[in-house]
Parts: sequence; C-alpha cells; structure tokens
Amino acid sequence: MLTLLAKLFKALNSESSPGQIALAFSLAVIVGLTPFTSLHNILVLLLAFILRVNLSAFFLAVAVFSGVGYLIDPMSVQLGETILQSPALYDSWTELYQNDLWRMMAFNNTLVMGGFTLAMIAFIPVLVVSRLLIVMYRDKLLAWVNKLKIVQALKAGKFYNIYQSLAD
Amino acid sequence: MKQWIRWSGLAGFVVVFGLIVAFFMLAAGPLIKSSIEYFGSELAGAKVSVDDVSLQFSPFGIELQQLQVADADKPMENLLQFDQAVAELELAPLLLGKSIVRELSVDNLQFNTPRTESGALEKVAEEEAVDEEAETQAEEPSIAKLPSVDEILARESLKTEQAGRDVQQAFESRKQQVEQATAAVPDAEALARYQRELEVLTSGDIKSLEDFNQRKKKFDQLKKQFKQDKKAVVAAKQAISDARRDLSEKLSALKAAPGQDLESIQNKYQFNASGATNVSALLFGEEAGQWAEKTLYWYEKIKPYLASDGSESGEAEVEEIEPQRGTGRFIHFPSNDPWPEFLIRKAHLSAPMLGGQMLIEATDVTHQQAVLGRPTLVVIQGEALTDIQGLAIEATLDHRQAPGKDSVTLDMKDWNLKGVNLGVAGAEIESALVQVQGLALVSGDQLQAKADAQLGQTQFAGQGKTQFAKEMLRALASIDQFTIESSATGELTSPEVKFGSDLDRKLNKAFKQRLKKKQGELEAKLQSRLDDKMQSYLGDYADDLKALNQLDGSLDDKTEQLTQMAEKQLDDYQAQQKAKADKELKKQEKELENKLNDKLKSFF
Repeated sequence: MLTLLAKLFKALNSESSPGQIALAFSLAVIVGLTPFTSLHNILVLLLAFILRVNLSAFFLAVAVFSGVGYLIDPMSVQLGETILQSPALYDSWTELYQNDLWRMMAFNNTLVMGGFTLAMIAFIPVLVVSRLLIVMYRDKLLAWVNKLKIVQALKAGKFYNIYQSLAD
Repeated sequence: MKQWIRWSGLAGFVVVFGLIVAFFMLAAGPLIKSSIEYFGSELAGAKVSVDDVSLQFSPFGIELQQLQVADADKPMENLLQFDQAVAELELAPLLLGKSIVRELSVDNLQFNTPRTESGALEKVAEEEAVDEEAETQAEEPSIAKLPSVDEILARESLKTEQAGRDVQQAFESRKQQVEQATAAVPDAEALARYQRELEVLTSGDIKSLEDFNQRKKKFDQLKKQFKQDKKAVVAAKQAISDARRDLSEKLSALKAAPGQDLESIQNKYQFNASGATNVSALLFGEEAGQWAEKTLYWYEKIKPYLASDGSESGEAEVEEIEPQRGTGRFIHFPSNDPWPEFLIRKAHLSAPMLGGQMLIEATDVTHQQAVLGRPTLVVIQGEALTDIQGLAIEATLDHRQAPGKDSVTLDMKDWNLKGVNLGVAGAEIESALVQVQGLALVSGDQLQAKADAQLGQTQFAGQGKTQFAKEMLRALASIDQFTIESSATGELTSPEVKFGSDLDRKLNKAFKQRLKKKQGELEAKLQSRLDDKMQSYLGDYADDLKALNQLDGSLDDKTEQLTQMAEKQLDDYQAQQKAKADKELKKQEKELENKLNDKLKSFF
C-alpha cells in the first residue's frame, strides 16, 4: 500500500499528464462502485491497461472507491431497483434480457445497475475535478507541501525511501 | 493518439487474465469436488464422497466419478451412489455464477448399497443418538411391538399422579388453615364454664342495686365473649367449608383422572396403522413399505429446495426483501430462456432396480421455478423388470407459487407378487398378479393420495397353528381375487390412511376380535393400575374429608349453644323490685280480703 501511495505521489509530482491520472480516477469509479467481478469491469481493466492512464493511481483509486461503493451500496441497490422496476423502461430491459451478452453483463442485477449508473453520473465530474485538483496541486501546493515540517519528517522515514527509490 | 495507447498494457492484460483462467481451470476440479462433499454432507446429514471431478472442454462441463451419499440412519449403507455423472454446463450463465446444466446423465444409480466404512458424521452421530431412540420408541407400528403396561405408565405423564399430588398439597394447606381457625373456637369445657357462670348470674335474688350492677357487668362481659366466640366459630366454619369444597373438587378430579389417563393412552397406543409406510408394508410387503418410506424421505429432503424463495419472482415481494450487501439481486424479465441460479434442463438417470433398469428423466430441475416459469417434471419408466411387466411414474413438482402443488401418478401393470406376509397369524399371499394405479397430490403440507390395486389369481398360504390362524387361512382360501383401495389424506408427515378391500371386509372380523382381545387385556391391566394409583391417594383423604364434616357438625352444635346462652337475659332491677312489691301488695290484699270475709261471716 505504501508503495502504491508512493507511486501515486510520484505520479502527482512527475511529468505525467494530469489527464492520465484523472482518467485513472474516473475509470476506477466504475470498478469501485460496481461488483468487482462484473463483466464490464474486465472491459474497464482492459481500458486501464491499454490506455496510457496511470495504473498506480487507478489501483489506489479502485481500493478507495470500493470502500465508498460498499458504504453506499444500499443506495446503489435502491437506485438499481428503481431503474429496473421502472414501467417506462420495462420494454427496453425485456429486450436486453433476451440477449445473452447483456445478461452476462448482469445489467438486471440491482447493484450492478445502481452502481454503474452512479459511476456514470460521477465519471465526468471526477475526471474534470480531479484533473483540476492535480493541476492546482502542482501549481500551488507542491512547493508549499515540500516545505511543511511533517513532509520533511516523512522524507526522513520509510515512505520517503520508497518514494525516492521509485523516483530514481 | 499514439501517446494514449499502451500496447504493452494489452500484453500484460492478456497474461494476467490467462493466468487467472488457467488457475481456475486447474483448481475447478478439486474445488467442485470439495464443494460437493461439504455441502452434500450438510444436506444429507452423512458423508458424501466423490472419487474424482474433472472439467471437460468440448462440450464444456464436468464429470463426476463414483459419488456416494451415506445414509444418516444407517451409516454402513449408502442412500444412493452412482458410477458416473456427466454434466454439460452453459458457459455464459456460469460467468455470472449461475449453474445451468444443459444435460445431465447419471449411470448406474443405486440405492441402499453397502459401505466399507461408516458414513456417519461425528457430531451428527452424537447429537442424533438420543433423538433416534425417542423416535423409534414413538413409532411403534406393529402389534408385537406394543409397549407393556409398565412401559406405558413409566413413559406417560399421568393425570392420576398429578391429581393425587394436587390432593396432597391442597390437604396440607387446608389442614393448616382449618387448625388455625378452630383453635380460636371455645371447646366443650369453655362452654360448660359459660353455662355455669350464666346460671350463677341468673339465679337467686338480687339483693341490692349494687348486686344487680355487678351481675350486669359480668353478664355483659360474657355476652361480649359469646360474640367473639361466635365470630370464631363462623370463621372456622368458613375455613372448613372452603377446605371441604376444595378437597371435594380435587378428589373428584382424582377419581376422574384414571379414566382420562386410560382414554389418552388408548388414543395414543391405538392399534390402527400409524402411517402410510406401515400399512403399505403390511399389505404390499416390506419392499413396498421401504419404497414408500424412501420416497417420503427424499421428498422431504428435496421439497425445501424446490420452493422458490420469491425473491426473483416479482414486484410484490420487493419491499419485504432486505437488499443484500455487496451483491444486490437479479430482476428477471419475461424470456424463453431465463437463468435461475441453478438449473438442470434435462437429466437422464439409469438405476438398476427390481431386476431390471429404472430410467429416470427429469426436466427443469431448479429451486427457482418462479424464475424459470415451468414446473419440474420427472418421468420414471421401468425396463425389463423381473416381476413387473410395466411401471410408469410421472411427477410434476410445481412450486412457482406458494403453496407448491406436486402431483404423482403411478401405473403398474402385471406385478407378479410373491410371498407377501399379511402380518397376521403367519398368513401370506403366496402369489398374485397385481395391477396398481395411484395418484397423489401434495399442496403445501397437505397430502391427498389414492391408490387402487387389483389382485388376481391370488393364492394364500400360512403355517399358523392356532385356531385363529386356521380359521383365517380357511377364509382366505375361498378368495381368488380382491381389490385394495387405499387413500391417504391430511398432513404429509402424518396422513390419515384408509384401506378398504374385499379381503379387509372378510378378515376385518378376525382382526377385530384379535385386536379387541389384546386391547381389552391391556386396558384392564391399565385400568387396574391406574385405580391402584388413585386409591393410594384417595384412601387417606376420604377419611380426612369425613373428619372435616364431623368437625363442621360439632361447630354447628357450639353455635347453637352459644346462641342460646346469648339469648338469656338478666332481669331488670327495677322490674324485679316492682314485682316483689306487687307480690307483697297482693299478699296484703289477700290477707285483708280474708279478714274482711271473716268479719262478714260474723255478721250473719
């Protein structure tokens, strides 16, 4: 975990494009808010591997968003129930249900549907906001953070050694 | 664009997933094997073992070798075993964790085969030892196994004993109350003393006003005492009355208890059949009885898994279901091909039985029939059976809605019946040709079953040497065909079973006489023992009750005496003086009158 965190800091402090890190966060939202073994997550993983997104940021964010996903899963399930039970969408779902591939995606699972919907809602905001934050961090906070006593103390510890070894 | 693509990532992805898939392929066999053994043992309550489980890739599926399910009741026997089972699985649902078996074939399915080692699960064996013993004792099916009088009395919680104890307790507490109440009542000596004191006070002349006042004071004191004593007597009478009523009630209950006990014992240990399996065993032989027992056993085991849990079936249940953390639930839409969690689309089983083969075909086996929208169908056909020309059983297990509705039809042609013990006086059906048709409907826990058997070309035999046996065999010899009509209705676990037949009617009398005699003997012994028990309680307390009655009578006498004494009056002093003066005046008047008369006489 420390290694992963160090890698994240390295990415934040490096020349990696803020968009690559922000996209990693956004993709992680999908994996984190839906059941990990869902078929669409294989696609997301494939995207994370193929696209030049920051993998450390992606995996760390998956861990964080999974925790968030567990906390809000009653809400996700309720949302999924509402969407899947909606009379207006009944015909669409029935049509999708006839297709094996869609069923394999478990679209008719309340948690998958609810979690995926929330992830889709959050995708663009997470992408934009995280990109903005990374840019702001690099512009304004990086130098100030480096001057903080606590950071300097940390630099003397194990974490910084890992960070340093990765940076080298 | 190029800077956004990471081709090495694709290779990494492929390698990682390739490794994961390879791992699962290798681990699948052992994982499935241990799952079958673990969950199977939980379900059967005895050891379930599989020799080998392997994955097949074309078509995709699994193959099981040598599965054995031990019998929880007989650990050295297998409930069932088979040599090989091949299950063809559908891959797409499997990726969602749903086990859908396109086709299952099971070879050489056998029941009740011997085991080389015990199949008992250790903890189950310990826990159930006591229960089994109790169950065995409770289900006494045959006349020979009827418990003795001592066993019945030791086993039953008797009202006679309880009523006896009630009488004892009531007597002890009432006795104390009566003793306390009667202690305050004046005894005979006190009453005699009162009498003497009253006589002293009311006799003789009152000499002066002071004398009168003294007498009056003592008299008032005595009256006050009488009042108190009367109150004590009333309280004692009330205590006695309460005690007498309470004891009478309890003694009446005690007197009635042996009769109630006997009735309860008669109902519990009546000599009629206690279940379908016993009666079918009696009429169709041990084998049929065992089959009925086995069918019920498996039905009971399978039934809970047939019922859809309702969580998949519709909107109505949504509110009742707590959403599961981390999994959610699947909502199913109309489809020709729904995916329940577990489904066997088609199963073929072959089982060597009754000298031939039983071919079993089952379709749509699932625990979520509401999702599937179809009931489970099972068709069993007998092939080349030794003693049966044709055997067909069809079962429809419909649990799409609660309560579930299951139906079974049975059609058996030309069953060559041999050596069936009739269970009475050593008589047996030596041979008969039987046709059987049956229909059973189970709705929820309620069973409605009917079966007719026509027995033709019947030959009876028997080695009984008693008069009864000989008479019965003579009666049987005249019968060459008869029909047995059977029905079972009521609770599935304890249906009311009725049998009627030509044979029954002819043998009924003989049965009844035999049973009546045996039952009469048992009842007489029970009655006598229960009466003894009652007397042991009743004997002592009947006398005590009599004594209470006597005590009540003596209190009545005392009340009378006290009332009479209290009614006595002390004459008023003034009235007494006046009477005295009047008496003196009358005396003087008389004297004056006499003198006057004497004087008048002298004039004439």
